[in-house]
Amino acid sequence: MAYLPYLLVAPSIILLLGLIAYPLVFALKNSFYFWNLQTSATPVGFVGFANYQMVLASPAFLNSLINTLVLTFSGTALEFAFGLAIALLLSTRLRGMSVARALLIMPTTIAPIVVGFLFRYMYDPQGGIITWLMASIGLDLPAQGILGSTNTALLAILIADVWQWTPFFAIILYAGLLSVPVSLLEAARLDGASAWVMFWRIKFPFVMRTALIILILRFMQLFNTFDLVLVLTRGGPGTSSRTLGYTLYQQGLIDFNIGMASATTWLVVIIVNAIVGLYIFFAFRKWEW
Amino acid sequence: MEHHPRPLRRLVIYALLALLMLFFIGPIIWFILLAIRPPGTAFTMPPVLFFEPTADAIRHTLVDPGANARQARNSLIVALGAVLLNLPFSVPAAYALSRYRMKSKKFIMLWYLGLLMAPPIAFLIPYFVLMTQIGLSGTYLSMILVLQTLIIPFSVWLMKSFIDEVPRELEEAARVDGAAWYVIMLRITLPLVRPGLIVTSMFAFVFAWNNAAFPLVLSSQQTATLPIGTLNYFASTGVTWSFIASAAVVAMVPPMLIFLVFDRYVVRGLTFGAVKG
Repeated sequence: MAYLPYLLVAPSIILLLGLIAYPLVFALKNSFYFWNLQTSATPVGFVGFANYQMVLASPAFLNSLINTLVLTFSGTALEFAFGLAIALLLSTRLRGMSVARALLIMPTTIAPIVVGFLFRYMYDPQGGIITWLMASIGLDLPAQGILGSTNTALLAILIADVWQWTPFFAIILYAGLLSVPVSLLEAARLDGASAWVMFWRIKFPFVMRTALIILILRFMQLFNTFDLVLVLTRGGPGTSSRTLGYTLYQQGLIDFNIGMASATTWLVVIIVNAIVGLYIFFAFRKWEW
Repeated sequence: MEHHPRPLRRLVIYALLALLMLFFIGPIIWFILLAIRPPGTAFTMPPVLFFEPTADAIRHTLVDPGANARQARNSLIVALGAVLLNLPFSVPAAYALSRYRMKSKKFIMLWYLGLLMAPPIAFLIPYFVLMTQIGLSGTYLSMILVLQTLIIPFSVWLMKSFIDEVPRELEEAARVDGAAWYVIMLRITLPLVRPGLIVTSMFAFVFAWNNAAFPLVLSSQQTATLPIGTLNYFASTGVTWSFIASAAVVAMVPPMLIFLVFDRYVVRGLTFGAVKG
């Protein structure tokens, strides 16, 4: 019966393998072919590494890689920092905190596409409430609107993402804080530990275990972002807010350049696997199963 | 866990909390208001806070002509279908990973987790070509099928955390009596984790309901889901924002209700069971 558990796991693995192997093999094969879906229903000619060379040499790819890294690192860091601050606020035992917590998570429940529309409405240069608020406090806004300027487009996407996902960190880290044993805190208090020391020496290490898993999840979701970009800026103006996810969308579903999109896919797969692999190797070494 | 704060500190905390609510809930309310505003008040500086609400846009969305009613139904079919198809795959897997010693347990769990981090956009074109070739393009089934790449890993992780909590002793007694593994799983363990099964299905439903990437390439005019419906408004010239907002509100309500009703399990659902909450 030693094989029984494997038998139970097998159907899901086989289905999933089938579902992900096909796209990966498809992309690998076609990354070596010239194929534009608008002009031909099948791949046209073998071109070796030409697609990869074209992708790597194109400024749009490099730009979107940089944008993606900026967005991903700053987004994850901001969401974690704000989330932790809110979690600490929630953990003061006051009336109404559980209601506040239940409502706070609402942004996270919304489909990213809808979040895109919500912010597009608020960023509107003609009558958006964010535009109005910023103009009222005397901020100098770009004439083309917040989403229409190369200086602010990526920032606008970042803000929308931080709005949606800060509550995610907040309520999960709050749950982590609640699980810190009271006896540990009492003992520290009796020893005369300051709030600062209690936070860094007791609470923070305790929530780090929780944080490890949600940090990488959020990091990767952000890395793959494209719905928010699609609705807010379409990667523009120029390539100023283009992310890797949106570049793939552009190459594949707008330009129908399957060869180039496939090459980009594999470059992204390699980057993603390198990041996740390294992270899992270091972060989950001491995880218990 | 903290001692109760003093009145002044309490006041500061409540003020901060009010600000947080304004920042995080305000935009949602502002967008919902857009769906019931008279058109002339949507884009004004300064914003119009008080107005005579109108149900015109919502009527347009759901009833007459019901511009998004079909998409709402499609979203429901796809999300329910994805959750139902997932159960026979994820439940046995979660059971095995919870109950048996497996050398590669860690690897398998991380493999599922890795799938949840894959870039969906990278899979869209291959799926589009594949589904066209096998004649499934534009069908509910095509979306339900590819959604499994997200729903199964999610459900296995979450279900495992619930099964982990059922004491093994209950199963041991039946095992001593000579019951087969499947009898034990179906008759003893699963009835005990029924709440977990419901919670998992609910959050998996939200996951599928909110997905826009797969329907973007796999749905047809007839099978388009709500997120695609909102996008379609945008593609046409002369955007009618009240229609976008009312379609978006219809898309927003089910996930919000599920999160409010299953509030106790939200942390657990969002962390795939890794944090009990």
